[in-house]
Amino acid sequence: MYQAADKQRHRRRLIQTMAIAGATSWFPALVRAKDQPYQGTTLNVSLFNGVFQKLLRPLIPEFEAATGIRVVYDTPSFPIYNQRTDLELSTHGAGLDVANVTFIYSGRWIGSGWFTPLDSYLAERTPSDWDLEDILPGARAPETGKDGKLYGIPWNVDVVLAAASRFDLVQAAGLGFPGTTDELLAVLKAVNKKDRSAGFATDNHYGWTFPPYLYAYGGSVFADAPDNLLPMLDSPEAVAAADYFAHLLRDYGPSGVISYTTDQTVQSLKSGRTNFSTIGQSYVSQIGDAASSKTVDTSAFGLVPQGPKGRFPGVAVHALGIPVGSKNKDAAWEFIKWATSKEIALRAVQAGYGSPARRSALTSPEYRTRQTINGYDLGALAIDSVDVAAKGGYMKYRTVPVFPQVDQQLNKAIELIVSGQQNAEQAMRLAQAQSIAELKRAGIKL
Amino acid sequence: MTILPWEASRKRAFIIGLAPALLVLGAITLLPTLALIVVSFTPLSLTDPINTFHFNNPLGNYRQLWADTRFLNSVSVQLKLSLSSVALQLVVGLGVALLLNARQAILSAVRAVFLIPMVLPPIVVALIWKIMYTPEVSPLHRMLENVGLPVESLITNPDMALWAISFAETWQWFPFTMLMVLAALQMMPDDPLEAARIDGANRWQIFKYIVFPYIRPALVIAGLFRLIDSFKAFPLIYVLTNGGPGTVTEVTNFYGFIQAFNFSYWGYASAIAVLMLAGAFLLSWLISRWGGHHDDE
Repeated sequence: MYQAADKQRHRRRLIQTMAIAGATSWFPALVRAKDQPYQGTTLNVSLFNGVFQKLLRPLIPEFEAATGIRVVYDTPSFPIYNQRTDLELSTHGAGLDVANVTFIYSGRWIGSGWFTPLDSYLAERTPSDWDLEDILPGARAPETGKDGKLYGIPWNVDVVLAAASRFDLVQAAGLGFPGTTDELLAVLKAVNKKDRSAGFATDNHYGWTFPPYLYAYGGSVFADAPDNLLPMLDSPEAVAAADYFAHLLRDYGPSGVISYTTDQTVQSLKSGRTNFSTIGQSYVSQIGDAASSKTVDTSAFGLVPQGPKGRFPGVAVHALGIPVGSKNKDAAWEFIKWATSKEIALRAVQAGYGSPARRSALTSPEYRTRQTINGYDLGALAIDSVDVAAKGGYMKYRTVPVFPQVDQQLNKAIELIVSGQQNAEQAMRLAQAQSIAELKRAGIKL
Repeated sequence: MTILPWEASRKRAFIIGLAPALLVLGAITLLPTLALIVVSFTPLSLTDPINTFHFNNPLGNYRQLWADTRFLNSVSVQLKLSLSSVALQLVVGLGVALLLNARQAILSAVRAVFLIPMVLPPIVVALIWKIMYTPEVSPLHRMLENVGLPVESLITNPDMALWAISFAETWQWFPFTMLMVLAALQMMPDDPLEAARIDGANRWQIFKYIVFPYIRPALVIAGLFRLIDSFKAFPLIYVLTNGGPGTVTEVTNFYGFIQAFNFSYWGYASAIAVLMLAGAFLLSWLISRWGGHHDDE
């Protein structure tokens, strides 16, 4: 009897122990389930490749550990990203949960209803100290739809700046940093091919790198974007600007300059094989990377040159948004909230990122320290450029839904002139005619 | 009386045997083609798919194409690229095959080396040639500069860009012709060659009157395959020139790609694809007729 009762007690204790052990082993999971409601979710995140994107990659495991969300992070090159995402969004596919809202496509992607409005996420799922107001209002504007709702959270405000990698050659010629288009020509004439350094190169995405010159000469892309989308590419001012810009590339560019992408341009500046460029701040600031650049100590920076009609630096904004087809919108918002937070912006700045969209990052001492290269304060130049663009309002051309069509015509026109196939007037007249044909095909009444 | 039922049952057996393959072929080839043709009669744009998928003006895209100078230019570029690269591939492939047509162990190894470009992924080939054609990093340009013959970038020179693409395309695909010709050469009987030699024919005469007629069907087939495949030239153009400078290297499928994937004009791009398909059919019909005609002689 005693033995039987003892055996029964022993069995009961064993069951109790197992139950406690089981409950204990489940408990963390229960705790995790409460703290990590999206545990086990896989998020497909895609942005084009760039400086911030590279800095973000090693930080993603922290987000994964904190949320239990697995992130598949894809960063193809800029044109590949845009083509792939444009197709994915247009089919309302579920392949992407978080996507970059590319500036030139923002009007088209948001206007077509391909992104999810984020207002309810901001109101209901975001603490107030995350601070939307800290993101520059000018950066939020292109991410706002006609319905007044916000469709993307900006992580980048990039401005076109002028850079010289071999300013020592300019000084040796007795000249200063060029502030106007005429001065730039004089400087290039003096330094071209000196010490095996070509005068000028820029990214062959001319739909982005040419407009600062187009507007500086008094031209414009459209008659009055976004209300009147009649292209203005064959105006005398536009022809003069194209002629000037093509002259810089043709007569002062390295061999094969019209095949240069942004990366090639930056490499050429960092190695000193090319002296001048006007490209985005996030790229020119790489000249200051002592680990990979030979020209840190000979570099100089300034605003894009002023033309007969003024100074018109290009400004671009990139943001993170949630495609409408995503099946993981709530988890996607968690990623966006994290990736565009004050903390991540500051950490990116500390690691050398030069184009954050948050005021707190832009005004931080770390930013000023990191973005001062060879004595030049790139941060101050960037803020001046954003101010000029905000006052002028000329960047509206870039966010109209049909801009990608005209963007391509600008690329072709500059290539035609630089390669000597057509003169500026012929090439810009062709660009005008083909832009009109493309816009009509898109159903735009001109 | 007994033959007909046998023929009928034979036919039925063929049909039953072929049916699964035909069904699969229909599902993966004919249905998408049919969809392509249907879409080509609409102005479908993916930015507004509901309002643009209609048949109000079914021939609108084709009418626009007829007046689209950039499309017409792309057809001309396509023809130049296809004809030049296929001609070069046939000449180089034939020449290399003749050189390598012997039963020696070392030649077998050399043949395998020549096959490498053909088995590389097209994007890798494009990157190799991007390096070769970029003066700043190109060993080719550096070598020419060192011997006092500096050459400007070929892919940004409007007179050379298409030739540069054609050359790279030839490098990648001449091994295909080489393989076809080698196979034909190795099947060739020795008797007529020996007879010709005994009759005093020189090498050129042997090639012209015996070898070439024998391998001509293989060359025609290789040419046909390569010509049709050349319409798909895309990675080289995408990576090396992006269709430029201007539109000098913009072939028809690249133009169709821009219309579909940059601008979302799927109706218009489908019309371009339909015309390309028709062109490929026409070409293969013409060449097969030409090849067949000569075979019969």
